[in-house]
Amino acid sequence: MFETISTWVAALLTLFVFSFLYKENPLYRFAEHLLVGVSVGYGLPLVYYNVFIPYVYTPIFLRHEFIFIIPASLGILFLFRFHSKLSWLSRYPIAFSMGTVGMGVPLALHANTLVQLRSSILPLTNINLVIIFVGTVTILFYFFFSKAHEGVYKNFTRIGVWYMMIGFGASFGYTVMARLSLLIGRIQFLVGDWLRLIQ
Amino acid sequence: MNFFQRLQALDRRWVYLLVAITVTVPLVFVYDSPTYTTEPTENIYQMIDRFAEINERGEQRRAIFLNFHHDAATMPELFPQETAILRHAFLRGVPVFTFTILTTAAPLIDFAIDTVKREIQATNPEKDIVSGVHYINIGFKPPALYLPIILGMGDDIAEALETDAEGRNIADLPMMEGIRNYEQMNLVVQFSGSSFGQEWFIYARPQFGVNVAAGITAVIAPDTYPFQQTGQLIGILGGLKGAAEYEKMVDLFANRGRPFSRDIARSQHVSIVDDEVPYQFRVARIGMNAQNAAHIMMIIFIIIGNIGYFLQRRKEKVLE
Repeated sequence: MFETISTWVAALLTLFVFSFLYKENPLYRFAEHLLVGVSVGYGLPLVYYNVFIPYVYTPIFLRHEFIFIIPASLGILFLFRFHSKLSWLSRYPIAFSMGTVGMGVPLALHANTLVQLRSSILPLTNINLVIIFVGTVTILFYFFFSKAHEGVYKNFTRIGVWYMMIGFGASFGYTVMARLSLLIGRIQFLVGDWLRLIQ
Repeated sequence: MNFFQRLQALDRRWVYLLVAITVTVPLVFVYDSPTYTTEPTENIYQMIDRFAEINERGEQRRAIFLNFHHDAATMPELFPQETAILRHAFLRGVPVFTFTILTTAAPLIDFAIDTVKREIQATNPEKDIVSGVHYINIGFKPPALYLPIILGMGDDIAEALETDAEGRNIADLPMMEGIRNYEQMNLVVQFSGSSFGQEWFIYARPQFGVNVAAGITAVIAPDTYPFQQTGQLIGILGGLKGAAEYEKMVDLFANRGRPFSRDIARSQHVSIVDDEVPYQFRVARIGMNAQNAAHIMMIIFIIIGNIGYFLQRRKEKVLE
């Protein structure tokens, strides 16, 4: 019974959202606002029971581990962001957070830049590596603005432009595929779970 | 007004309607079509299957860690990936951890596990999938603890995660027998529509050697493939296509009790109109039928639109 009701609610809300494709209307707005409200409403008690209770209330008030007052106080300072005169206090927890970001900089630089760089300067033993090498070099030259793009140099950088166009095309194609998948998922739900046209 | 001019002036709501019909028809009237598996997907399947073989031989146990890093908005692409991997792991007896740092992902974990458990019990009644024995749902953990958890699991998983979603002490659960850190829990799969497991291959892979894979939406797939090429990711499930590929391999191998073979995965056709195969084992591949139909329709639209554009331009030049 509960499953039937929830399926009907989900189906109607899906149709409310799809109605926007025809034109803006109150049903669409209702579904949109409901989504925001439900997400926040669901998140608040989850955070309360999974964060506040085990990491603030239990250690400080039940186990009397008062060291937890320091991070809890730092967390409370975030709330001063909303006070015009005391908003400067929120910079302390932000500064603390930025400190932990600093820890990740060398590792992220290694993973995102150096490893990628290494894999683009391998010996040209197969056609794929040659394609990657030509693409990397021509695109880098395209973004080298200290020399005017003229003559042979222009033709060379033009290859880089073609590489980028192919890359943008692939990205756009994948994006279209992703958006269609979202539609497919909803229609599978509507015709399958709701209308039972798929067995 | 000629045909092309009329098309260019067409109300876009007719296009929406046509797209909806094009997508709906292949979902209702299912036709058979091949699914080609690719290396990034095969790598993930092969690794989980190898873990199963190691566990069957009674050697040091191996488990997998599924990180749900998305909300319901990306479910159509990521949910079939998640259920396919869960189905594979449960059928082959590989212990699974499920985890999230997003409040909105917590119910999706329950939904995915319940869906797969129900399916397996319907087709295989003697196989009972039990929480704490076959899988541990860690559930939601605060984002502030994400990095300490990633690093802490390198020493002791139970100590880093402490409790599961039901509030039980993880160290006391039967599944943890023989599983201590990344040595045993050696594959992390992150499902996400916005990131592809960077935290894991930035922090955990260099230090502890954990294998990282990504289940991602198609939008971020082009950004992700370079990390597969460098070996930072061992495999990728890209959008609904990735889910369809994985689903085919689960249907072909795990569901039929056969060992994995890359050659067979690539060469053998598995019918999706076979009524003996439950719908849940075909859902992503049927979705790809609709995807194909919509792509063909869009290619036709692009060709017609371009013909119309060039004819219009030629007409304007003649008039000049």
